[in-house]
This record gives sequence, C-alpha cells and structure tokens, in this order.
Amino acid sequence: MKRRTALKGALAGAATIAMPHLARAQGSRKLSYLSWNIADQEALFKQEFADFQKANPGVEIEWLDKKGTELPAFFQTQLVAGTAPDVIDLQGALWVEYAASGALLDLTPYLAREPDIAKLYNPDYLASWQYQGRSFLLPFYVSKTLLFYNKTMFKEAGLAGPPRSFDEMLGFAEKMAKGEKTGFLTLNFDWLYWPLFKMNGIELLSPDLKQAAFNTPQAIEVLARLAKATESGAINKISWTGRWVEPNGAFAGNTVGMLHAHSAAYFFVKGQGRWINEDTLGVAQMPGYWATPTNHGFAISKSSKNPDLAWAFIKHMAGNRWATELARIRSLLTANIAADRAELETIRKEDPLGAAVLATQLEHTDKFTGDWPLPFDVQIKDAFYPEIQSAVLGRKDAKTALGDAERAVNRVLRRRS
Amino acid sequence: MAAVQSRRPIGRTLLIWCFLAPSLAIFLLYRVLPLLWNLVLSFEEWSPLRPPLWVGLDQYQEMLFDDAVFWQALANTLLFIASAPIAIAIALGLALLVNSDIRGRDIYRTIIFVSYPLMTVAVAIIWRWMFDERVGLINYVARALELVDRPIQFLNSFDWALPSVIVANIWQMLGFYMIVLLTGLQNIPPHLHEAAAIDGANAIRRFWRITLPLLRPSLFLCFVIGMLNSFTSFDLVYVMTGGGPGHATELLVTYIYKLGFAQTRFDYAAAVTVFFFLLLIAITGAANLLSGGNAGAVERD
Repeated sequence: MKRRTALKGALAGAATIAMPHLARAQGSRKLSYLSWNIADQEALFKQEFADFQKANPGVEIEWLDKKGTELPAFFQTQLVAGTAPDVIDLQGALWVEYAASGALLDLTPYLAREPDIAKLYNPDYLASWQYQGRSFLLPFYVSKTLLFYNKTMFKEAGLAGPPRSFDEMLGFAEKMAKGEKTGFLTLNFDWLYWPLFKMNGIELLSPDLKQAAFNTPQAIEVLARLAKATESGAINKISWTGRWVEPNGAFAGNTVGMLHAHSAAYFFVKGQGRWINEDTLGVAQMPGYWATPTNHGFAISKSSKNPDLAWAFIKHMAGNRWATELARIRSLLTANIAADRAELETIRKEDPLGAAVLATQLEHTDKFTGDWPLPFDVQIKDAFYPEIQSAVLGRKDAKTALGDAERAVNRVLRRRS
Repeated sequence: MAAVQSRRPIGRTLLIWCFLAPSLAIFLLYRVLPLLWNLVLSFEEWSPLRPPLWVGLDQYQEMLFDDAVFWQALANTLLFIASAPIAIAIALGLALLVNSDIRGRDIYRTIIFVSYPLMTVAVAIIWRWMFDERVGLINYVARALELVDRPIQFLNSFDWALPSVIVANIWQMLGFYMIVLLTGLQNIPPHLHEAAAIDGANAIRRFWRITLPLLRPSLFLCFVIGMLNSFTSFDLVYVMTGGGPGHATELLVTYIYKLGFAQTRFDYAAAVTVFFFLLLIAITGAANLLSGGNAGAVERD
C-alpha cells in the first residue's frame, strides 16, 4: 500500500513537473510571417491572426512587413542567419530562386493530401507557382498586364477602339503623338514589357531554357520598330527608363494614348488623373492576349519549425473568408475563385470601370508570358534589358543590341548550367 | 626596485589595452573579419543556400575579361571621382568670395552650406524632381527661355544621366568643401598677403604663390573626402536613377549591391568589392603622395 502510494505520488509529481513544460511547449508554437509592402493592411491582418489563434490556441504570430526593395535582401540575410520566417509573401519570379535552392517548402504533398484546397484557386494562377512540377506558393493577391487607353485621345485621332495587333498598336500610337502628346507607354520592370515581343512570336529562350532564342530577324525588326516609334515620340521614352510612379504618372497626366501596365496601376492612375471615368478611360487586353503576371503568393520556409502550422496559416490567409475580405478592402483579385467572384460583383456596383479592369485579370489566364521558371531570372533580366534600352533609346542599332544581349544571356546560362 | 620599475610600464600598457579592447573588438568584429571573410568569399562559389566551393580566380577572371558592366561601372566611378576637383574648384571660388568683404557674406555662407547637412536621399529626391521632364524646374526654365523645344529627359538619357547625377553630387558637397576651404583661408596669416602686395605681387600672383600652397592641407582633405563620397554615393545614384538607363549611371558600389542582393551573387560581388577596396587604397595613396606624402600626419615640435 505504501509502495503504491509512493508510486502514485511519484507519478503525480512527475506529471505536475511535466505538465507546465508540455503546456509551455504547446504554448511556444510560434509563427513568423514576413509580408511584402502591405503594412497598410495591419487592421485586417490583426483580425486574420486573431481568427487563426482562436482556431489554434497558444499560437503566437510575429508579423513583419518590408518594402519591396528591401524584402529580398532582408530575407536573404535571414536565410544566412538561419532565422528565415515561417511564412513569406513573395512577389514576381523571385520565389523560383528560393525554391530551386531549397529554401522553400514543397507544398505538393500538402495539396495532394487536401485536394479541395487547389480547387479554391484559379488553376492558371496556381500553376504559375510551379517549379519542376512542384508547387511552392498559395495565391495571396494577383495581377497581370493589360492595356489602358485614353478614349478622348483615341477619339481626337479618329480611332474607334483598342488595337488588335502590334502594327495597329504602333500605328495608333503614331497617330496620337503630337507635340507633348505621346501614343504609348509600357511599364518595364519584371519583364512587364515582354508581351510586346511575345505577340510577335518571339521567344526569349529555347524550349529547354538552355540557350537564348530571341536573336531572330523578326526580333530585330520588332526592336527596330520600337526604337523608331520611341524616336518619333509615338512611344514615350519613360517606357524604357521609368519605374512605376513615372510612367503611371505620365499616363495620368492625360497626354499619353495607351498604357501597358498591370491592374494595380489603375488605382494610382485614377487617383492622379481627374479626367478618368468610364467615358474617358478604356481597358482591353493587349493584342494577342499575352500578359505578364506580377503575383504575390504565400510560401513556407523549409527551415520552418512548424511547417504544418504554417500550412494551416497560409490556408487560413488564402482561404475564402479572408481572401474575400482582402479583395474587398484592397479592390483587387486574389485568384481565390469565390473571393474574386464576390469582389467583381461588389465592385461592379461601386466602380464599373474598376470592375472592367479586374475582369481582364481573369480572362486569358492561359496566356501568361515573361515568367520563366528560372532560378536566375534576375541575372537574365539584367543581361537582357540594358541592351534593349540601348536599342530603343537610340544608342545601338537593333541588330547590334540583340547580338550583345544574346551573348550576355548565353553567358549567364552557361555559367549557371 | 628594478622589478617595480619594470612592472609599472606593464601595468600601464595593460591599462591602455583594456581601454582599447572594446573599440578593437568592435573594429575586429565589424571591419577586419568581414573584410577577411569577403576576401575568402571572392575565391569561392557561394550563395546563402549552397555550400561554398573553392573556384580560385574564376570570379576575378569573369570580372576582368567577361563583364562589360563591371568596366562601365568602374569608368563611371572614376568619372564620379574626377568630378570632385571640379566641385573643389567651384567651392574654392565661393570660399574666396565669401572670405572677402562683400555685404551679407554670412548669409551666403549659410545658403551655400545648407545643402551639406541634408540627407543624401532627400538630395536625390530634390534633384530627381528638378530634372523631371514634366514638372522639373530645369526643364521649365529651359522651355520658358525657349532654349529647347521638347523637355530634356535628363535622368532617362544615356548622355545626360551621369552628368545630372554628378551635378547633384557636386551641389551636395559644395557647402562642405566651402567651409573647409574657408577655414583654411582664414588660417593664412594676413601679413603674408600684405608683404607680397608691398613687394608688388598682384592678386593672381598672391593667389598662386601664397593662398594655394598654404591651402594644400585643406584641399587634400576636401579631395579625400570627396573621393570617399564619390566611391560611396550609393544612395544618391540608387534613388535618382537606380544605375540606369542601361548601366549609364552604374557605379561600382551600386553594382556590388545589385550583384549581392538582386542577383544573389555574393561570391562575385565579393570579388568586385576586393577590387574596389584595392582601388580605394591606391587612389588614397596617390593623393597622399601628391600632397607631399605625409598628409594627415600630426606635426610635432
């Protein structure tokens, strides 16, 4: 009896000592989340975190937001230090490099285990985050390029509607260029200008992604025509040098006929241009329906100590409820089918022009271009684009520029193969 | 007795080292070790997620024989450095002006100096707007005076971008140079000028024979600081042009940043950094030699 009592006492004591430790271990479940230039959504995030914590008691969420220009450097430093965040919001093609080098968790097994999750999203957007057949991100919010056009300038130039081919596009731009007015502007970061080449059948790389494929007579002709149009003022020079604010600001100034930009530009342009309304601004797909995506997605660091919890977190953030809420607050699309449907319905009533812009984002999603699954995309971009700039700004002829670009791109490909 | 005497210097030396230790530790940790690590890195192939691989001189070979951007960035950096003497010459003119007996010279001094304490990012934004083709003051004036038909795309032009950034850099440094040179001018004993004037030397002769030689330490200081500033003008270039158009305004320092943090080529960036470091040492050494070989040394009686 005494031995039993002693045993019971010992077990109870051990349990008493162990319990707080166990509780502490459970309580110390912590998730860190690094977002990309979306600090303005603090209120929404707090609600999302609280909701997640309600479903997952004891989870701590540490959130940090970095501006787009700072995030890659910050994340890389975290990777080197071994303190990568559990969940990270990545934009554009940056994720490929991290996925290829093993910094991101392969989500394919998670998606296979829960097949209903993939069904929540637009399959084309979801597929844009695949590298070597494996999925690495869930959609956060999405955007792709489209053509905005100034209906007043079109009318003044006697043009009925948006261009349907590259020839028409340059022809229209030429017609509208007069004095301070220019016909066409494109954003140029992250391959956003690439639809101009793609619509002419030009490929950047060979199908096996091992060789440059763009140095063709057709590409030389296209580039020469872009250079000529830039020289004449049909294409605004800011197209090739401006970043984001300058080209969008120039279009908002009511002196540019067409703007090739992603949907996110709409609210900036509208905010700056008082002339903008349904009667003065038109939206259309680019000729050939090609578009370059600039999406944001949620990834999980491979070094995460709580990968399952992180998976639950990104499902939560990208799920119907919170995707709908983000779409509503930010007037954007998320690639979450239900959220986007709800947002389009709402925005149609409040801002029909905005709805028209967003509607383009769900059309022709099978025609994404400029998003090659290359882990060294930035290096290719840095080898290619300066030569294009040299040609369109009249420093080199198109043939020389493409020849130099080909050598530079092949050098990168050789080095990295 | 002898033991006590020999123990005292040891105690003092220890005390000195104790005082120096925190600074030395920080210097070692944040300067020397990263420099050494950078040197090792330049002979390796390494990225945050790959184990290092020794590649010997491969990075240097690529830099010297295979990378046109490196050469352009180097040429731009040297041009940037070459602009320092222009700024110093302008500052010398201004210093001479505000050192004379003109009315309101204190106000002029303040106005000229005011650019220096401004943050470089603010200077870059100010000048970006000044050069803007739509709303920029320079284009506005040029068009108002009918000097140009169409706005000049200063920062978007291969020909204008680098000179435009250099102008912004000169503007920012002008106030600093002027103050340094003004201090130098005021330290020149007036009787030297008076004696020379009595001997019949005109103002130009007095400037070349008295002012300029006695200003040599101040000029050297301006040059070294100007050169260092040119070498590290990352924020000015990054905010104004981002190194573009093309690589027209790329400096070695912006190129190193892009290689490391945009292209994730820390190994290659390390090789360019080693070259950058050696160049800096060489130019500082040359400047020191030109100024007599002991610039900065403390004179002892």
